[in-house]
Amino acid sequence: MRGLGVVPAGSRQHRRRQIIGWALFALVVVLIPFLIADTYSPTIFGNRYTVGLGNLSQAIGMMVAILGLNIATGYSGQLSLGHSFFVGSGAYLTAVLVNEFHWSYLSTLGVVVPGLFLFGVLFGLPALRIQGLYLGLLTFAVAAVFPSIIRLDEVKDRTGGSNGLQIESDLVAPSWAPLNTVTEWLHAIPGVGSRVPDGLTSRQEEAVYKYFLLVIVALVCFWLVRNILAGRVGRALVAIRDNPLGAAANGVNLAAYKTLSFGISAAVGGVAGTMLAMHSGFVGPDEFGFAMAILLIVGLIVGGAGTLHGAVVGGLAIRFVPEWSSQTQTLPGTDTALEGPYGTAILGALLIIIIFVLPGGAAQGFRRIKARLMPVAPQPPRG
Amino acid sequence: MVVLASVLGVFDISLDKLSNGELWLAQFFRGLSDGATYASVALALVMIYKSTGFINFAQGSLALLGVYLAYIFSVEQGLPVALAVVCAMVASAVVAAFIERVFIRPFPPDHVLPLVIVTLGLLLIIDSAVGIVWGFRTRSLPSMFPSGAPIEWGIAQLTWRTIGNLGTVFTVVGLLYLLLSRTKVGLAFRAVSSNLESARLVGIRVGPTLGFGWALAAAIGTLGGALVVPDLLLEPSIMLRVLIFSLAAAALGGLDSMVGAVIGGLVVGLARNLLVTFLDLSELALATAVAVILVVLLVRPTGLFGSTRVERV
Repeated sequence: MRGLGVVPAGSRQHRRRQIIGWALFALVVVLIPFLIADTYSPTIFGNRYTVGLGNLSQAIGMMVAILGLNIATGYSGQLSLGHSFFVGSGAYLTAVLVNEFHWSYLSTLGVVVPGLFLFGVLFGLPALRIQGLYLGLLTFAVAAVFPSIIRLDEVKDRTGGSNGLQIESDLVAPSWAPLNTVTEWLHAIPGVGSRVPDGLTSRQEEAVYKYFLLVIVALVCFWLVRNILAGRVGRALVAIRDNPLGAAANGVNLAAYKTLSFGISAAVGGVAGTMLAMHSGFVGPDEFGFAMAILLIVGLIVGGAGTLHGAVVGGLAIRFVPEWSSQTQTLPGTDTALEGPYGTAILGALLIIIIFVLPGGAAQGFRRIKARLMPVAPQPPRG
Repeated sequence: MVVLASVLGVFDISLDKLSNGELWLAQFFRGLSDGATYASVALALVMIYKSTGFINFAQGSLALLGVYLAYIFSVEQGLPVALAVVCAMVASAVVAAFIERVFIRPFPPDHVLPLVIVTLGLLLIIDSAVGIVWGFRTRSLPSMFPSGAPIEWGIAQLTWRTIGNLGTVFTVVGLLYLLLSRTKVGLAFRAVSSNLESARLVGIRVGPTLGFGWALAAAIGTLGGALVVPDLLLEPSIMLRVLIFSLAAAALGGLDSMVGAVIGGLVVGLARNLLVTFLDLSELALATAVAVILVVLLVRPTGLFGSTRVERV
């Protein structure tokens, strides 16, 4: 395969390539909701698959959840199987604040982020003493406990117990949002425009607005986490993961940074919880049990632990793989109908296959393809 | 006195309940029975951890598969329950040895995290495969032990099942001890778990030995499952709950101690039944187990009987 030719890192061509890449990404992110505002459902081998905007929004929430898990597990190497606990706490905190104090969804982040950060730090304190697999065990058990805490008699009135909690607030697009105008413009484009509806119904408008809101929150999260990880903190965390002894010898305060990583991880997880609550307008105790904890680990590994864009792939995978497998009613060439929990089995198989052939996850695969097609020659730092 | 009264008030404890000896005894017996079942699955976890240094999160799923096989052999094929359980133990041992050969052995044994992830993948696959093949209908598996209770004390009954569960676990531990200390396979197993490299250098075939460990662990886990299930109903998610209590038991006792697994199992079983009854925490059965491990691990990070790893700093 012939690539685009080697460009030196940091050169003008390299910059241009990066800018084009990001522009394409932005274009896709902006166009998608209008293209699938009516659920996009291609038919492959007689099976109808759907790519709903709602599912995509939920996947964005999952991406942020995996991003948070990535900080504790992917970057600083502490096996946390209980991340769903933080996500669930964030979701319930948002639900209760919105319902009882009539806050807006986004303003609950002002409580969720610091609250979950503190909570994560408290959680990280025992994790200093309990290491490796013992920590994995403990966090797994904690994840399993979350639903029963929600169902406790003492808090049942607030959390809705087993029935879950309907959040009494709708996200309605503000009147200044030009969603309909944009839709009409897109509809007017010849060729592509036929995929875009003529105008948005109020339900579609709400879905599109929600999507953009979630995308913005997610982008802010990814940007902040990227900045944290690119600096002193990130290096310290990676050093702790790769060689704790060496990190300590070089002056990294292990206790402080490990605790900090749990704090940040929990805070980001809490934001993910808020996003999931925004998405569905409903929180239920069993959504955030250990099934979700395992799913998040699957997403982390499939996407690529210790990378940021891995979280994006992981979030899409854990949302859409089970969905599509349940929509696969006939396999081509056979009469077998896929009924039952095939989706979970496929995710499990995917997990094992990824560990076998691509231990760095999808992110590693992308990096390899990119290195083949658009090689960049590293340059020594100047000065 | 005031403090005591307020503590009792907070937890909604009535003195009637506390002074009810029969209730204590009844819950004590139930705790022993539950504890014995947790202990046997915890034993299986410890076997794997001892030899390979990681936790097999698919242990519960292997046991689930085994219990379903036992159900097929006994209820559908009409074998006596005890014989069916033995057949299921053999079958799940074969499956586990196969899994070890195909999914576990290709990985370098000193790198633990990928292996843990693989076992998580196996958990997802086996659990959903059981759901696909046998469906989500609940079934009931008869117990291996006769019903009825030889000793009764009001509402407190020491049933044959409790005696059988405890007896089975102690027999298994005894046999394991004999196997590990008196046979050549056991010697090889201990050598591999104490130092893999040196074991390989003196000519022990490490791979088959570890495969043997997996097979044995799966058989013990299946036996544990066959002890648990008659108390509950058989359905595909049943072993996940058991797995969590067993993980708690193993962590409590120390992940590399067999005695620890048994004691941990009994403690978790008792804690679960006694605390839940007397503190009135029916929703918090799981949370009490977690609280117990958290406290123990904070004081002793490698469990009660686990060997402390010496680190050179």
